[in-house]
Amino acid sequence: MCGIVGYIGDKQAQSILLSALSMLEYRGYDSCGIAVVSNGIKSYKNVLRVAEMKEIAPQIIGTVGIGHTRWATCGEPTRVNAHPHFDCTGNIAVVHNGVITNYPVLKQKLINDGHEFVSDTDTEVIPHLIEKYYKGDLEKAVELALLDIQGSYAIAVIGAGENKLVVARKDSPLIIGVGDRETFVASDVPAILDYTNQVIYLDDGDIGVITGDGIKIKKDGLEIHREEHKILWSVEAAQKAGYEHFMLKEIHEQPKVIRDTLSEYTQMSEPIVDLENLREDDRSILILACGTSYNAGLVGKYIMEDLVGVPVRVEIASEFSCYGQTPEKTLAFVISQSGETADVLKAIRKLKGVQCHVVAVTNVVGSSISRIADQTIYTRAGPEISVAATKSFIAQLMVLYWLAMSYSKVDAKRLADILLELRQLPSKVQWMLDNGEDILQCARYLARFENVFFIGRGLNYPIALEGALKLKEISYIHAEGYAAGELKHGPFSLLGENTPVITITGQDSTYESILTNIKEVKARKSPLIALTGDGDEAIKEFVDMVITVPRVDPIFSPVVNTVALQLLAYYTARERDCPIDFPRNLAKSVTVE
Amino acid sequence: MNQAVILAAGEGQRLRPFTANKPKVMLVIAGKPILQYVVESLAQNGIRNIVLVVGYRREQIFDCLGSGAQFGVNINYIIQERQLGTAHALAQVKDVTENEFLVISGDNLIEADTIAQFVNTEPESLIVKRTGNPSGYGVVTIENNKVKEIVEKPGVVKSNAVNTGIYAFTRDIFNFIENQLDIPDVLNTMIAKGYPVSVQETNGLWLDVVYPWDILNLNDVILRRIKGNLGGTIESGVSLNGLVSVGRDTLLRSGSYMVGPAVIGNNCDIGPGVCILPATSIGDNVVISPFSTIKNSVIGNDVDIGPGCIIQDSIIDNGCVIKGHFSACSGPADIKINEHRLVNIGAILGEGCNLASNVVAQPGVILGNHCQVQALKVISGRLPDKSLVF
Repeated sequence: MCGIVGYIGDKQAQSILLSALSMLEYRGYDSCGIAVVSNGIKSYKNVLRVAEMKEIAPQIIGTVGIGHTRWATCGEPTRVNAHPHFDCTGNIAVVHNGVITNYPVLKQKLINDGHEFVSDTDTEVIPHLIEKYYKGDLEKAVELALLDIQGSYAIAVIGAGENKLVVARKDSPLIIGVGDRETFVASDVPAILDYTNQVIYLDDGDIGVITGDGIKIKKDGLEIHREEHKILWSVEAAQKAGYEHFMLKEIHEQPKVIRDTLSEYTQMSEPIVDLENLREDDRSILILACGTSYNAGLVGKYIMEDLVGVPVRVEIASEFSCYGQTPEKTLAFVISQSGETADVLKAIRKLKGVQCHVVAVTNVVGSSISRIADQTIYTRAGPEISVAATKSFIAQLMVLYWLAMSYSKVDAKRLADILLELRQLPSKVQWMLDNGEDILQCARYLARFENVFFIGRGLNYPIALEGALKLKEISYIHAEGYAAGELKHGPFSLLGENTPVITITGQDSTYESILTNIKEVKARKSPLIALTGDGDEAIKEFVDMVITVPRVDPIFSPVVNTVALQLLAYYTARERDCPIDFPRNLAKSVTVE
Repeated sequence: MNQAVILAAGEGQRLRPFTANKPKVMLVIAGKPILQYVVESLAQNGIRNIVLVVGYRREQIFDCLGSGAQFGVNINYIIQERQLGTAHALAQVKDVTENEFLVISGDNLIEADTIAQFVNTEPESLIVKRTGNPSGYGVVTIENNKVKEIVEKPGVVKSNAVNTGIYAFTRDIFNFIENQLDIPDVLNTMIAKGYPVSVQETNGLWLDVVYPWDILNLNDVILRRIKGNLGGTIESGVSLNGLVSVGRDTLLRSGSYMVGPAVIGNNCDIGPGVCILPATSIGDNVVISPFSTIKNSVIGNDVDIGPGCIIQDSIIDNGCVIKGHFSACSGPADIKINEHRLVNIGAILGEGCNLASNVVAQPGVILGNHCQVQALKVISGRLPDKSLVF
């Protein structure tokens, strides 16, 4: 869960490396560092954000270099543990994203051989192994070193006096950006978009050697050709463009995300995935995901069971990958925004082991998940920079709606009504964005509390989970999402004047039940905030504050409610002066288990 | 000159209901907001450093223009929290301007050629246009190609040259901004202190939107200049006449008859048997059901128009749902916005209105945002936001 970059060309590497790194901070930002081939290798690293490093790093002259921004997994965030890491001589420098699982053994062996280690990281074994095998050919030495390593990695290596960059990947993402007489390496596309839109995606087991003459890629010792892809989205998407935070910008992009997704799918006459893949004797669907994507998956369960009439199981990928079981040949949808989530990848391998048909739902073209799944559906969210997922969640919901509709067993008339309602949705969401005053007021009120419950029923139970997740991750308020009926089985003992409860009131048959739950909570003196449909006057009698959302077909209430809760979390975090786009201890793409 | 300051902070009260949730510069005409036409005209003249003064509902501008990269410009947003006037807006950009820069309003439609003639003039200068009816504008009296005086909406008109609000300035202008709220007052101060301000005349296009019906006028003018472009799927039996632009993923169903100039957005579902007549703009994601006829109108995004509707000289904003047999026929209407005016117009519908079947709109009806109208009602006059018509 770190970001790596590399550069080789005729420009000075340092400033390019740092500006590329700043676009990868979503992958981690507790320390950063660079190393450049410059009469030997010169390096600078520390416990700094990239922007701070730009200010104070000394100028290193050289046109070949590597860089790293870290999210600590093995070893605390300190200057010594920051990358790049070196061998004993200081002539080999490595940046690494991933986890070396057998590093304790390797490290002991290397120490016994006389190698001296300075950091607590797993990464440091890599430069020492390369040193061990180095006989004048850096590429050969990297190849041999990797044979000893178990675990996941994307690495970039430079050597003193070597006008080349050696890169390799296994289970961690790595791309090569092809420019005009210059080449870039990065964990993800936004890092290089300022310089080029021609990209090569490396595959697991690929080792690349980049020199002034070009790019050579080898797999299993054989030279192979990997195609160049043109990136269609621009650097635009990775800029704040007037907004104070990426998160608010991305929240405001949601009407467009919905329109783009609709545009993609409404013209499609065939279902995206053939339900015929379902086994005759076990017509069920499995959904696997983590975090926000898991909440989307839960909404998917409700809508698919409603519209398709097939039982759906939703599992947390990190649990399933170790303990879960599924019958052979199940149809599985696996959801991951980044497509790099380690737990999800591990779960897919397990599913493939029992011949499941795996359909990946991801936002990143060429991501690891799309390579190992049988089929991939891309969400049309565009790059998401803010650590708190917003538009990617809505895009995932849109895909799940579309899947459910394409398999739908409900009558054609109801389907036509749903489709018309779906077309209205971008305007409804825009209305939500334009009428945020009541949300802002609630946020000012909420900011003073340290514990909050979110409750919902049915389709809006996952939205209670998502609302709580958004609030806790960016405002640091302890928030829990509960199925409204479950609150009295325990959490009631926590209710009181200092614990507000936010109710997500569905615009459907759950309304009466949730009204009962509201009254129960009210009797325990908890402040109550209700999300409810426009024109609902009745509820005002029971709650302290109301957030009004537009009236929609009940099946789409998760969409408008989510947008309201995203804004609530955003404004609350702003009120508490939190670093909204980069919350502490979190990273966007979770590439470790 | 390679920098321009665009003034885009204003609300545009007289354009309600359309400006309740968006600034005036974001009114969409022929598929693009007015501000985008201004930015594109500047980009065509190589002016790539753009300072955008924003205020009211600025998120909508951020969402549309972003960093400017997709238009080949770089946009620096400056926020004017309270919209006190053009000189006040200009004072906000003092720290980011170069030695010479253009100032232009974001809600006027001008041609790239007009800017091309102007970029090489010596500051301080302004563009004037001769008009037959100058009394509603800033009237410029001219002597030896220099401005003698600018008088806003004068009782007695001394010249037929009006101020277009397009200026070329040097940083000297900031020395003259004291407490004046509008730029013409600053210029009058400069002139009074003996600092010359020159004049350039244009014969090019210069259009302003002040009232809702101006949207139709601008739509007409812009549609005359569009290029035909056919995307999406056009079923057999669709008749396309004149210049018609159809967006990607749009479906034109059999038996539909299109007469350009007309622009249809992306992912629309139109027909079968729909008639689109000249000077019509249709947004993205719009559904138009069978046997509806639309003429000289502007339809927003996500609008759902039922079967058998007649819509003429009308403006329908985003997200409206209109059931079958809605009738919005054009006719002369006496509308009061500040003052009475007689215009030929159909219906004006704000965002997210819901109209049940067989609603009849009297010419000139202005329905606010998010209104609901029951079946078989006749609507007329001006209805505030969130009205319910039973």
